[in-house]
Parts: sequence; C-alpha cells; structure tokens
Amino acid sequence: MSDVGLGPLGNAALYLALAFALWGVLSGVLGSIRKDARLLTSARFAGIATFLAMTAAIAVMEIALLTDDFSVSYVANTSRAASPLWVKIVTLWAALEGSLLLWGWLLSGYWALLSVVAPNTPLRSWALTTMAVVQTFFILVPAVLAPPFETMSPIPLDGPGPNPLLQNHWMMAVHPFLMYLGFVGLTVPFAYAISALISGRPGSEWMLQTRRWTLIGWGFLTAAIISGGWWSYEVLGWGGYWAWDPVENVSFLPWLTATAFIHSVQVQERRHMLKGWNLLLIILTFSLTLLGTFLTRSGVVSSVHAFGDGPVGPAFLAFFLIVMAGSLALVAWRWDAIRDRADLDHPVSREGSFLAGNVLFLAIAFAVLLGTLFPLIVEAVSGDKVTVGAPFFDQATLPLWMIVLLLMGIGPLLPWRRANTQTLSSNLMWMTGAAVAATAVAFALGMREIYPLLTIGLSGWNLASLALLLLGAVVPRMRVGTRSVVQVIANYAFENRRRFGSMIVHFGVIVMALGIMASSAYRIDEQVRIDVGATAPFEDLTFTVKDTFMESTEHRISAGALVDVHRNGNLLTTLRPRINTFFGQSMNVPTPDVLYLPAYDVYLNVAAGITPDSEFVVLRVVRSPLVSWVWIAGFIMAFGTVYALTPTRRAARSTQRTPRGSATA
Amino acid sequence: MTRLIAIVAVTVGLGGLFLFGLLRGSPDRNIESARIDREVLTFDLPLYPRYQGAFGPTLDLAAELGSKPIIVNFWASWCGPCYDEAPHLETAWRAHQDDVLFIGIQTQDRGKRAEGEAFLDRFAITFPNVIDDDSRVSIDYGLFGVPETFFVRSDGTLLYKHTGPVTLDLLEEKIAELTGS
Amino acid sequence: MRFLLQPLLIALLLVGGGQGQAQEAASPAVQTELESQVFDIARQLRCPTCVSESVADSNAGISIEMRREIQTQLQAGASEAEVLAFFQDRYGDWILLEPPRRGIHLFVWWLPGIALAAGAGALAILMIRWTRAARQTTDLEDTDEADLARVRAALQKEEGPA
Repeated sequence: MSDVGLGPLGNAALYLALAFALWGVLSGVLGSIRKDARLLTSARFAGIATFLAMTAAIAVMEIALLTDDFSVSYVANTSRAASPLWVKIVTLWAALEGSLLLWGWLLSGYWALLSVVAPNTPLRSWALTTMAVVQTFFILVPAVLAPPFETMSPIPLDGPGPNPLLQNHWMMAVHPFLMYLGFVGLTVPFAYAISALISGRPGSEWMLQTRRWTLIGWGFLTAAIISGGWWSYEVLGWGGYWAWDPVENVSFLPWLTATAFIHSVQVQERRHMLKGWNLLLIILTFSLTLLGTFLTRSGVVSSVHAFGDGPVGPAFLAFFLIVMAGSLALVAWRWDAIRDRADLDHPVSREGSFLAGNVLFLAIAFAVLLGTLFPLIVEAVSGDKVTVGAPFFDQATLPLWMIVLLLMGIGPLLPWRRANTQTLSSNLMWMTGAAVAATAVAFALGMREIYPLLTIGLSGWNLASLALLLLGAVVPRMRVGTRSVVQVIANYAFENRRRFGSMIVHFGVIVMALGIMASSAYRIDEQVRIDVGATAPFEDLTFTVKDTFMESTEHRISAGALVDVHRNGNLLTTLRPRINTFFGQSMNVPTPDVLYLPAYDVYLNVAAGITPDSEFVVLRVVRSPLVSWVWIAGFIMAFGTVYALTPTRRAARSTQRTPRGSATA
Repeated sequence: MTRLIAIVAVTVGLGGLFLFGLLRGSPDRNIESARIDREVLTFDLPLYPRYQGAFGPTLDLAAELGSKPIIVNFWASWCGPCYDEAPHLETAWRAHQDDVLFIGIQTQDRGKRAEGEAFLDRFAITFPNVIDDDSRVSIDYGLFGVPETFFVRSDGTLLYKHTGPVTLDLLEEKIAELTGS
Repeated sequence: MRFLLQPLLIALLLVGGGQGQAQEAASPAVQTELESQVFDIARQLRCPTCVSESVADSNAGISIEMRREIQTQLQAGASEAEVLAFFQDRYGDWILLEPPRRGIHLFVWWLPGIALAAGAGALAILMIRWTRAARQTTDLEDTDEADLARVRAALQKEEGPA
C-alpha cells in the first residue's frame, strides 16, 4: 500500500468524471433531439455524478498535497514538504494542471446545480447539454493533456514549492476562486443562449431564466478583478494595482461585455428588442472567457501572470475557435427568427441610454483587445517587436470612461420610452449644478489637471443623480402615506431589490472612480536611502529605521527593515518591509508593507539587499491618496450585487407597472 | 451566405494569428538589436589590471574600431550562462586573435571587482576585459540581460547580436562572416 | 551546472542585494533621491529584463541604472523627448511603453476611435430607423393592453386560485 500513491486513485476519479460528462453529452443530445424524458433525466444525473467524481478528484489531490505524497506528479512539481498548511491547500491551484482541475470542479458544481434547480422549460435540455460539452472539454484537458495525477518514478523526496509570489499573501486563497466562479458562472447564460438558438426559441425566455445566473457570474468577476488588483498592490512591490498587463486585460474583456449585457437585457425584457444583439453579446462574452484562458496558458503574450505552455495552448485555441465559430453559425442559421420588429419612441430614454452605454463598453473592449493583441499582430505582419503598455490603454480608454460616468448619471433617471421634457430639464439642471459646484470646489482647492477635475465633476453629477432617484421614489410614496422619510426609503429599498441594488453598485463605481483618480494623479514615488537608526522626512511623515531584521522559518528566509512611521510626533505604526527568499526557489520576493490611512496609503518596499550588518537601507516609498477607496468600492459593488439578487416575497407575483413619463421604475 | 463567409474569415484570421503566436515561441526574447547595420556606440572603460599592459589603463573602443572585426561580450559575475560560454569565448579568441579582437565587458555588477577577478581567473581569460560599473555601456548597447554578444564588422557596424550564451559553432560561423566580408 | 550555481546565486543575491527575476544585478551603495520627473519619464519606458514592468516600477538593476541615466540627462538639460529618443535609439521601439505614432502603429492609435465612431454611427442610424418604425406602428396602447390581458390570464391559469 505504501508503494502505491494516490495518483491512480486521482486518475480514476478524473476518468470517471470524464465518462459521466461524456454520457451527459450523449444522453443530452439524443434526449433533446428525440425529446426522450428518460434520457434527459439520465443527463441530469450525469451532471450530478460528474460533480461527485470531480469532488473526489479534488479531494484526492488535496490529500496528496497535505500528506506530501510526492509520487503524484503535480505534488512533486509544485509542492514542498516544509510549506505551511495553508500554502499546501492553495498549492492545488498554484500551477497549470491544478488550476485546470479547480476550473473543472467549479464548472461541474454549476452544472450539477443547474441540473437540480433549473425549471423544467423547453430550453433546459439543450442548455444542460451545452454545459456538458463545455465540461467535457475542461475535463479532457487535465485528463489527457496536462495530467496532474501521473505517478513519479523514482519518487522524489521533496519538491520546489509553489511560485514564491503565490505564497506571500492570503489573497491567493481567494482571488483564483472568485475568478473561476465568475468565468464559469457566465457559462450558464451562454448555455441557455445556445439552447435558445438550437431549439428555435430565440425570444426572451433564455434571458429571463438566466437573469440571476448572469448577475452572479458578473458579480464574482467584478470581485475577482478588484481583489486581483488588491493582491497585486500588496504583493508586487511597485505600489500599483493595475498594469494593463495582457493577462489582466483578457480577464477584463469579458467583464466589459458582461456589463454591457446585463444592461441591454433589460431593454429586451421591457421592449422586446435587441434579441440578436443580446445573443451575440453573451456569445462574445463566453468566447472572450475562452480566449482569455487561452492567452493566459499558452505563452503567446508576455505577462507576469502567464503560466504554462505545451499542448494545453493549442487545445484552448481550438476550443475557442470552435465555440466562437459554432455559436456564430447558429446565430446565422436562426437569423430570420431573431430579427425582430424593433421600435424606439425616442432616443432620449432609458433604452437610448442603455444602447449608448453598450456602444461605449464595446468600444472600450475593442480598444483593450486591440492593444493587447497588437504586438502579436505587428510581429506577424512585419516581424517588429513593439510594446503596448499602460500609457496607451490609459489614453485610449480614459475619455470613454468619462462618457460612461456621464451616462451612468443620466441613464437611470430617464424613463422608458420617452422622457418628460420638464422632469428631464429639471433633473439636468440639478445634476449640472452639482457637477459645476464640485469642480469649482476642487479647482479652488488647487486641482488643475483635466481628468481629475472631470472625475470630480462627474462624481457630483452622479451623486446628484442618485439623490434625485431616491427623491423621485420617496416623494410620491410620502404623499400617499404618513410614514417617515427613513421608513419610506427603507420600504422602497426592501421592495425594489434590483433597483436599489443597482443604485448601490453605481455608487460603488463613483467611489472607485474617485479612488482611481486620486491614486493615479496624485501618487508620490520616491526612493530614499536611510541609515539604520536615522530618520528621514517624507511629505508630512517621518520614517525612522530602527533596525534591520532577519528571520527564518522552515520554508523561507526573510531580511527586512523595521521602520517607524511618525506623523506630528505621534507613532502611527511600525512597518516591516522585507525580502523573502523561499527555499527551493531562487527568486527573491520583496514583500512590501502598507500603512492604510483614511486619506492615503504609505507603502514601503525594500529596493536593495539587506543583511544583518547593513548600515543603511534603500526603500521605495509610495504615497497613494484614496487608494483604499478602490477596495472599499469593491465591497460596495459586491454588496449591491448580492442585494439585487435577494428575492422579495412579492417578486414572483409583482405586476407593478409604472405610468408613462415618470422618472422612476 | 455572406454571414458564413464572414464567420469563416474571422475564424481563420484569428486562428492564423494565434497559431503564429504559438509557433513563434516566447515573446520578448531574442529581440533584434536596434543598431543592426549601424555603427556601434563607442566607450572608454577601465581595464582589469592584468590587461593594462597592452592597452593602458583604459580601453577606448573608438581607437580599435575600423581596423578589424570586434566581438563584444557582456557578462556579470552572478550570471549562470556566462560561466557556460566563457571557455568557448577563450577558445575562439586563442584561435583567431590575429583577425578578431575580443572584448569582454563586466556590466550590471557594480563594484564586484573581486568576483570579476575570480571569474577571469577561473577561465584563464586572456582577451581584454573592461568594467562597466554604472552599466551605461550596457544601456548604449541596448542590453536585455546577460550574457549578450555583439559581432561588429571591421567598418564598425553591427552585424549581429546574440542573446544568451554563445556556442563554439556560432562563434566560428560569425567569425567567418566577419573576416570573409 | 545550474543546480550547483543555485546556492551560489541565492547567496550572492541575498548578500549583494537585488531581487525579482534571476537576471538582475545588485545595487547596494547607490545614493538615490529621484525626482518625480525622472519617474514620469521612467513610466514611459519598459524595463528590458523584466516581464512587462515599467522602468519606474521595476527594482531591477538595469532599471535603477536607467533611472540614474535619465536623471543625469535631465540635469544636463535634455528634454523628455530627447531622453526617450536616447533609449529608443538603443533599444528600438520596443522600449517605449506606448507604440510610436507612425507607420503600422497608427492602426492601434486610430482604430479604437474609428470603431467608436462606427458604433455610434450605426447606433444613430438604427435609432432613426426605429423611431420611424415607432411612429408608423398604430395602436401601441391597445397592443400593450391586449398582451397584458393575455399574460394575466395565463398567470391566473398557472397559479390557480391561491
């Protein structure tokens, strides 16, 4: 028994999952074509069985990691006996093979859940079959191309441990999960869209049945991207959180198209138009997800985040092309059924603003996609090497973001169909007034740069918009009853989850815009050299290097500095930036330390080597105003999304219709 | 029909682009020098003491350019592959020292004289080595890392830049090009 | 060979300083007080030995040297364009973090704007078409009511008396 490691057991679980998934495809396809209830029920059980088998595979891998079973190839290549417990747990997704296993498992979870809870509508069978096909691919790749459960011979005594950058921070346990839950979550509306096309029901059913799934996937993706930024901030040492790195960009692309999607489906819900557009949008979103994972795992783009190459790359490329081409072919096949009679009463309306918003988000997505792929295109065409980095993306997208913020303010205030001119002018007056006032205050306080001023102005614009939205909801209700303002607002929030949730999310966007503006435009970077025991001033603070320190645990050596941070004579904290060297890896990982203050962050990173007898330290200091607002905004947006998803008692039987021309919905 | 053509066109276009990306290997490696076929920038750097007999305290590239081909090799004491290629450079130097001048530049290695001396001792390097303490010359040559080797024609223009350790075969091949042309 | 050198490398890197990727050098005793102008220019240049980091953000040896070089040139009176041209002359276009505005690179600068204009234009055309369609459709109110009545009837059938 001691000779046989867990590898064969893991392989068995994986192959079992593959078999169940294939059966899900087979029974799903046959059952859907023949409308055979027994086969379809069998297909649903296949979904559940696949999840159970994948859970077993994951469990086997975790056990192998936790018991240091180096006979398993993934453990031998990625783990290390001396690593702490939590590191071993997260090593499951620290490298290519394991991360694919995780993706496959989460996907199977969604598929199983869908198999159980999806309402028995005509769309269900093909939707589940589509999920089964995607699932099969995501099991085939780990099972055949990047097998994690191979048996090593001879069995090594120890392994290298995961990449040091992934051992440095607890976010490693969170961010990949959120990211995969986001990507996988968006598979569900895609599956329903394919089902709608195959079964010839390209109306609104597929959208309405997946509304919650779409929002859940979008919410996870939002949280994943923001948490990824926070992780970069705390770990990578340059004091920033978004580098327009190719892998970051490709995770951002589906978020952009998904955001466009969650808005334009509302136009289809209300006005029964944009059927084809929404189908194309979700196909684009899912295709971008696949494109993203291809670019990340193939080595085609250069990125700090990219990992892996080998046969996995071509497999993802093939799957991406097949899915994209196949879905588009389905749309082309059903095009006549999709073309609907669309009509628009007036461009200045909720529909109009959503449509404009769609154009903007897609334009941003286009710019990001083009910029990310441009070096590859240039090299293919002329062989030259060129870089498309942060300065390009900032210049290309900032103007568009400003217009998005503008639209975000006015859109929710516009009623469906047509705006009442009087209400509209009155609202615009207030919002413009707020924008001008905010800009004037900022200008008076010394702000002169264009984009920060614009952002402040647009924040005023949006805050006024939110206030007007609330007023518009509260005032009519107050006329009807005799409750207090607070009660009315609370009742409104309680009964209109989606609306109020979206207000919270939009508020979060304002907070984030301000955070990004301040931390980018007013960031102060300096490199200072301080003798040990000496004090150096920095803006309104002083740094005192009390000592250097050296510590070692079983799995790393750290050398760092103890720096006291004082302001106005008061000790704020002692920061401990250090350099970690993990045994088994030759990389040194500088680990910054951050002081979070309400108005700004003080960020210290070691910029040159430190030894126990160093007489001075060289520190990189970054002062970023309002950067924590970006993370706070993430929480606000997550909260708003959850809030919008919670069901109300009366949601199912709501027949509320708003009278024409009113400013609320 | 036009829709199908459009779909096929997009699929083939993207597929072709990404296939190219897969086949061409890792980006940002082997970036061609920006100074190919242009005159290389000159430097005047201090020599390690053991070479000062032939040239004086410093080696002025401007004085050496234009008479014979020159092979400039950048290395650092902490660079693993540099240890791999050093014996090949020394062998090629000894075989062709009448025709080609070899110059070694220790760069991105601020202040590491002792380590540099140890490196030169270890491989018994007899071609001149200079010290680029502030890495200004490695910037002038557009270095992406070490080791990198520059093959300069007798007229002072750059023939070829090699990223990574050189092999004896490559050296022989390029020397033939340099001396033949 | 590499495995023998690993402990040597670790020792050198720890003692000598330097961190990040394996190809960087040590820079222990450098007095560095960099001005924001240096960082501004450094933010537009790509660190040659790193994976997609700017010279401003990277702590690699060569980045520190490049920042020092930028500072020297600025102190000698060079303009930002001249400093960028200096590096471009030696490293090629790749060293700039944004593509130069000439030749094939104009595509990446202009296409996003063109795409936006095309999208906005298409939207405008569609909107005109749709508003015209709306004006031609008669009895919208009645259609709505009829639909709503049908839906209500269907709902009642589904939900039953409860």
